[in-house]
Amino acid sequence: MNLSFIDLFENDLKGVFPEIFLITGTIILLVYGVIYTTERRVLSKRNIATPILIRNISWLGLYSLVLSFLLTINTPFLNGVIFYNSLVLDNFTYYLKLIIFIATFSTILFSIDYLREEKLNSFEYIILILFSTCSILLMVSSYDLIALYLAIEFQSLSFYVIAASKRNSEFSTEAGLKYFLLGAFSSGILLFGCSMIYGFTGVTNLEELAKILTSLPEAPWITETGLFIGILFLAVGFLFKLTAAPFHMWAPDVYEGSPTSVTAFFSLAPKIAILGALSRVFFYSFYDLILPWQKIFIVCSIASMILGALAAVFQKKIKRLLAYSSIGHVGYMLIGLSCGTIEGVQALFLYLIIYIAMTINIFSLLLALQKIGRGGKERRLKYIADLRGLAHTNPILALTLTAVLFSIAGIPPLAGFFGKFYLFFTALSASLYLLAVIGVVTSVISCFYYIRLVKIMYFEKINTWPLWGSIKRENSLLLAITFFFILFLGIYPSPFFLVTHQMALALSF
Amino acid sequence: MPLLCLFKKLIKLMINSSLILFVAFTPLVGAIILFFIPNEKIRLIRSIAFTTSLITFLFSLLLWLEFDYSTAKFQFVNNVNWLPFSNINFYIGVDGISIFFIILTTFLIPVCILVGWSTVKNYLKQYLIAFLVLETLMIFVFCTLDLLLFYLFFESVLIPMFLIIGIWGSRERKIRAAYQFFLYTLFGSVFMLLAILFIYFQTGTTDLQILYTTEFTVQRQIILWLAFFASFAVKVPMVPVHIWLPEAHVEAPTAGSVILAGILLKLGSYGFLRFSIPIFPEATLYFTPLIYTMSVIAIIYTSLTTLSQIDLKKIIAYSSVAHMNFVTIGLFSLNIQGIEGSLLLMLSHGLVSSALFLCVGALYDRHKTRLIQYYGGCVQTMPLFSLFFLIFTLGNLSLPGTSSFVGEFLILVGSFQSNTMITTLAATGMVLGAAYSLWLYNRVIFGPFKPNFINRFSDLNRREVMMFLPFIIGIFWIGIYPEIFLRVMHISVSALIQHGNY
Repeated sequence: MNLSFIDLFENDLKGVFPEIFLITGTIILLVYGVIYTTERRVLSKRNIATPILIRNISWLGLYSLVLSFLLTINTPFLNGVIFYNSLVLDNFTYYLKLIIFIATFSTILFSIDYLREEKLNSFEYIILILFSTCSILLMVSSYDLIALYLAIEFQSLSFYVIAASKRNSEFSTEAGLKYFLLGAFSSGILLFGCSMIYGFTGVTNLEELAKILTSLPEAPWITETGLFIGILFLAVGFLFKLTAAPFHMWAPDVYEGSPTSVTAFFSLAPKIAILGALSRVFFYSFYDLILPWQKIFIVCSIASMILGALAAVFQKKIKRLLAYSSIGHVGYMLIGLSCGTIEGVQALFLYLIIYIAMTINIFSLLLALQKIGRGGKERRLKYIADLRGLAHTNPILALTLTAVLFSIAGIPPLAGFFGKFYLFFTALSASLYLLAVIGVVTSVISCFYYIRLVKIMYFEKINTWPLWGSIKRENSLLLAITFFFILFLGIYPSPFFLVTHQMALALSF
Repeated sequence: MPLLCLFKKLIKLMINSSLILFVAFTPLVGAIILFFIPNEKIRLIRSIAFTTSLITFLFSLLLWLEFDYSTAKFQFVNNVNWLPFSNINFYIGVDGISIFFIILTTFLIPVCILVGWSTVKNYLKQYLIAFLVLETLMIFVFCTLDLLLFYLFFESVLIPMFLIIGIWGSRERKIRAAYQFFLYTLFGSVFMLLAILFIYFQTGTTDLQILYTTEFTVQRQIILWLAFFASFAVKVPMVPVHIWLPEAHVEAPTAGSVILAGILLKLGSYGFLRFSIPIFPEATLYFTPLIYTMSVIAIIYTSLTTLSQIDLKKIIAYSSVAHMNFVTIGLFSLNIQGIEGSLLLMLSHGLVSSALFLCVGALYDRHKTRLIQYYGGCVQTMPLFSLFFLIFTLGNLSLPGTSSFVGEFLILVGSFQSNTMITTLAATGMVLGAAYSLWLYNRVIFGPFKPNFINRFSDLNRREVMMFLPFIIGIFWIGIYPEIFLRVMHISVSALIQHGNY
């Protein structure tokens, strides 16, 4: 019997094949990048150049993402628990991973030209995004508090670095610092929650936790002790990472300060992963303790919706507006979690998919749109008022943005409506009437500032006709795809309902 | 002869399959075709849009021809599964109540396109696309037999209308008007959304025909009725929430006003008739006094408000509010005369009020002002216009022989059976209506001629005359021989009343 290491983990390694491929690919890209960017190429006696590989590595990173996407689709097994019960594979992780790949792929794709034009020439940026994608993939499938925490930290560390990647900008460094401090703080809270839970149950595995806590409500002596504190801290840690309302302080500053491509990544990928992990932990392991944790999420959901609706009304800068709007969206998504029903989780992920599509659309527009000022100098959009006159000079783009804004506001027949309608439906069916009422009222209030953007583009009189730079092909492709998705989801929404239904079912077993 | 037979067979085939889909999707197809035509080809764009809308109108007339008015069932029914794991289907059909709304919609859209024939200078293509998309959405509102889909189309009308008011409106105040229109309507209708979701959660379906056979407890009915009321009252508009209407009407372009007055106001009363009255019968009886009171206040208040307005469009807008509140009185009198009268008055108001807005549009196109003090003596410069304007004004004050008279008379007959006091008060609205209509006509058409302000003279051109003629035909047709319209409604309306045990 020669039982080698490979034999022992034979199937386990197959299960994480996409992650292994992505990590290996990223390391190879790192080595390649380091070697070639530090190579001195003598062009002539005076010109000694080192190549800038950001574009090259971006494309290679995109290829490796596509390959890992294909690997994920053709995974040898869909269901299983691997690596000594620390990672899990099921329909839930499967679909979430696909969404994550799509989100990361589009983030890199629509920021390629932005990076070149902003002279963010360090290729490590892409490497870090790929690394954090790996960590996000692991986070989604982690089945153990330790594995979860490690994955979160891996992701957060990469994020701290890329938030501050534009070193010569004060905003970016400040954003990085703020993000680091609050992120580390929230990780500490999360870790404390994990340790309390471990201390009072003796296990960290999510399945074992679920088994231990199954009959807990009948044994109140545990709930009264530190377990509840553990759960509370865990929830707070997660809500910090999600930028839910009482713990949202860092989000607007970080969103505004970091380079726009980073903001786009922040508002896409971590939301998917953290919501995935959050629903796995709370919906699966702590399901029988729903009464205590439901309240936390209800409060946060209400607070986020109200803050997202009211605070964004007074914003002048477009990225801050998007930050507050994403806080509001997190509030809506938390409605789904608070329900504690299968439909609730389904609604959450349906909304998440639609949110991802809308965010990709807005950011690919924001990253590509440049106003050409006097003397041919190009200027990026910073203020909302900069959009003035877009409808006159670039009508198709204005139409796209209008559709997306109406969709975010939840006006039928656009995609955003379906997400909201299903969320409110689940809230009503779980008898959370207050949440549903606050949800609809805040969505009307938030309409106000979304249609203000439409107003600025279409209705306002312009004295000088603004000139806009052309949109790059990659961005326009993404814009077009998401635009069609948003416009026509209503005609055939079945596949998305089915997929999210499968996800929710996988989670509840 | 064999050719005719073939043609008949073809039509039969189409009707059996999906005539209603043809009606609804033709404008959308036109809009999609327009998308691919460059902006500069104005003539081509205009003719394509106009042809599409005319074809749609013809299809909708075919709908009327093939309509079987011996049954209260929904006809031309189409059902497509839409969401899995739910009973929300894409379910459309037409009955005696909704058919004329569809015809009214398809009738008004070609007019809207004609109105913008030469006056819309910028973004003509987008203007036409917006109207064609709007037409599809409105047809769907009137033919969906599913609550959620009704909400979906009811709301989605907001997007094109918001853009129409905001982009092609005439003054700076249009932005405020567009906002008011959007937010008022949205705020009302989200409560309807909650109510729909609640119904769906309670009964497991949003299919209208199943909901007709479901019974809710009285308390639930009251809450749900109020939630629906929040939405429909804004759209009708009932009096405390009517503020958006004069603003939106005044600031909208002429065609926008035509659609607003012609169709969008009907969405609310159609909603009352289709949803509130049959689904919540007890709540309807419970709230009838409320509706009566609000409507009477609205009739008297807005009629009096009309007297003090100085903007031509605002006067007509306020008179629309008065007429629409007549409609709600008729609807909630809950007998055949009242409801049929309301349906006729809605049709008639769709013609008269739209025509009056067209008249104001014609004045505005010539003189670029809508303030009444600049006008006077138009009979000397625009005799043809004065004639048309007179006919529509008389229609507005519901002169016997015009369509409004039949409607208002039936409404008063109907409400007299349930509440004489309300009828008496509402009848004062007819007097006041005569007052403001005639005074408006007097101030614009007669009186001293003011050449200091108005110094470019041109009477109606051929396009405008052609545009007004169908309205006149419609108004007199309904006014003199309403039976042809009532016959179609009769069975459906009586089924509705029987269904609620009123």
